[in-house]
Amino acid sequence: MGRDTIAGLVVLVVSLVLFGLTFRIQSNPLVPVSPAFYPRLVLGATAVLSALMVAIDLVKRRRARPSPPNAKAAVAKPRYDMVALLFAIFAVYVLILPYLGFRIATVAFLAAMQYAMARPATARAWVVLALVALIATAATYYMFEVYLQVLLPRGRWTDF
Amino acid sequence: MFELLGTALVHILQVKYLLPLFLGTLAGVIGGALPGVTITMTIIVALPFTFGLDPLQGLAAMAGLYVGGSAGGLVTAVLLGIPGTPSTVATTFDGYPMGRKEPGRALWLGIWGSFFGGMLGGVFLIFTTKPLAEFALAFGPWEYFSLFVLALSMVAGLVEASLVKALVSGFIGLIVTVLGNDPMLGGPRLTLGIPFLEGGIPFLPVLIGVFAFAQIMSEVEKSGGGGSMAPPVANAGSLKVSQLKVIGEILSRPFLLVWSAIIGVWIGVLPAIGGSAANIMAYDQAKKFSKHPEKFGTGIPEGIIASEAGNNANVGGSLVTIMAFGIPGDAVTAVMLGAMTIHGIQSGPLFIQQHPDIAYGIFAAYIVAHPIMVLILGLGARFAMRIMTIPKSTLFPIVLVLCVIGAFALDNSMDTVYVLLVFGVIGYLMVKAGFPLAPFILGAILGDQIEINLIRSIMTDPNPMLFITRPISGGLLLASVASVVFSLWQHRRTQRRLAAAATQPAPSDEDIADF
Repeated sequence: MGRDTIAGLVVLVVSLVLFGLTFRIQSNPLVPVSPAFYPRLVLGATAVLSALMVAIDLVKRRRARPSPPNAKAAVAKPRYDMVALLFAIFAVYVLILPYLGFRIATVAFLAAMQYAMARPATARAWVVLALVALIATAATYYMFEVYLQVLLPRGRWTDF
Repeated sequence: MFELLGTALVHILQVKYLLPLFLGTLAGVIGGALPGVTITMTIIVALPFTFGLDPLQGLAAMAGLYVGGSAGGLVTAVLLGIPGTPSTVATTFDGYPMGRKEPGRALWLGIWGSFFGGMLGGVFLIFTTKPLAEFALAFGPWEYFSLFVLALSMVAGLVEASLVKALVSGFIGLIVTVLGNDPMLGGPRLTLGIPFLEGGIPFLPVLIGVFAFAQIMSEVEKSGGGGSMAPPVANAGSLKVSQLKVIGEILSRPFLLVWSAIIGVWIGVLPAIGGSAANIMAYDQAKKFSKHPEKFGTGIPEGIIASEAGNNANVGGSLVTIMAFGIPGDAVTAVMLGAMTIHGIQSGPLFIQQHPDIAYGIFAAYIVAHPIMVLILGLGARFAMRIMTIPKSTLFPIVLVLCVIGAFALDNSMDTVYVLLVFGVIGYLMVKAGFPLAPFILGAILGDQIEINLIRSIMTDPNPMLFITRPISGGLLLASVASVVFSLWQHRRTQRRLAAAATQPAPSDEDIADF
């Protein structure tokens, strides 16, 4: 299965499931147009278009000539491992933020992200990593909380 | 009008407004100059900094950011041959060849070209927003619905991906708006059992998540987490040049300047196209009208002036569309529209009538941002080049923290931060699946308005033929169909050309060297 087929099938399934859920939406007798009318229109059209996308991809693949075996040899290998790691670090940051508070969680997040993206090789690089994490957190905290008066999350566990 | 504009200019020149305008323009120039960081991303990152400001302060900063971002990309385009933003791609064609020999002249031609193009865009913005808004007041729900359909079909038709895929992307954006809340009655629907969704999904964390993660993660996936956004400055030539001579070079080509600005403005007004198309189309037109088209690409001033004037005039045109109709022209103006909403401004035909102080304040900020942009670029081009060497491992995590602050500060709730995370993943997966993001964003922003106007029109008169028989609505729907047909025709033509090219013998190494 090609990329478009998989993507189209995912969208098709999601739109059909949501379309099914629209039948649970209760109508208001005072309003002539049901609140389910527009969602059904959108979800129905999405289902049709995603099915069309799948069909086009399948037809294209059937007609396409096979590419030479070494056609993609020159393309650099995508760093999916790093993408997954960074998403994981971000997810952990978002989840611990309300418990540790902005200041502690952000210092940890900035340090972890820098470490994951470019592991420090020298003592100087470690110092830079720590300074960036501390200074960026302090700067954003003071800029938003003190100067712009935008409240940032306090930690339930730390009250900090 | 001139009295209001004069008063607004006096207001904007107060330190209270001038400081955010200056900082916004500076942030825009830096963001625009960083290859791989788009203007949209810069606006997203800077937006939370405006939350604590009053509406005009915040919008002045945003206007400065838009102006600075549109011009900032020329620094790397001219000095490194790398466009800082997609809207400076054509600037590299002549900017870089000239920049290798005369970096100062190339840079300043770009700066002053941006200035004059942007100011011409400003004239259009100031003189047409009010009449167009008055014209839009005649719109009923049928016309608005058709206008939104036109915007979506144009954005779907103009992206590089297949039309069907772009339409699916737009519809995914519309799905975001049907989840959780019925905008007509305000009642819950399709909440999926999540109480937070009962209020609907706020579009700003969606926007931030989709754009920030799609961009950052795509960059990491491509080149890992090490290194910087651009190589260290290699071009050490002097940037000093006679300003009068450069300005004279530009003003001695009035047709080129005005025509490029008209193209930029026109593309800005049309929903969904944006600065990258304005830049390339202005360059292309300059080449077509030139007496010596063969010299384009060798480092001639016409190429730099046309592309930069077109690109910056585009900003004025885009602002007209959001201020008069309340429709974002592209992803950048979609975020601008979000910024206006956050500052309590409902943009649309009534905006200029109900908030003339803010509307003319935006005009004034737009005008004043131009000399500020010249000043920043002139004094700070070398500094901007140094910022580009900041490691990605430092820049990206800080950008993500600012995204979290932006999402959290919307209603001081972690729920919006979770929305940011979810849509960050969705945005990245959409990019991986080859879905263009612009239709998705437009769908997510316009979804509620499309529903409200569709339901209102049906409740007023259930006859569906009114969408076609009302002249403006019918014209807009006809334009939507034409847009789809045109994009299908264009796609077929490209496919035929590619097929024809594939049957040609492959060029030899000598051919490639000649090219």
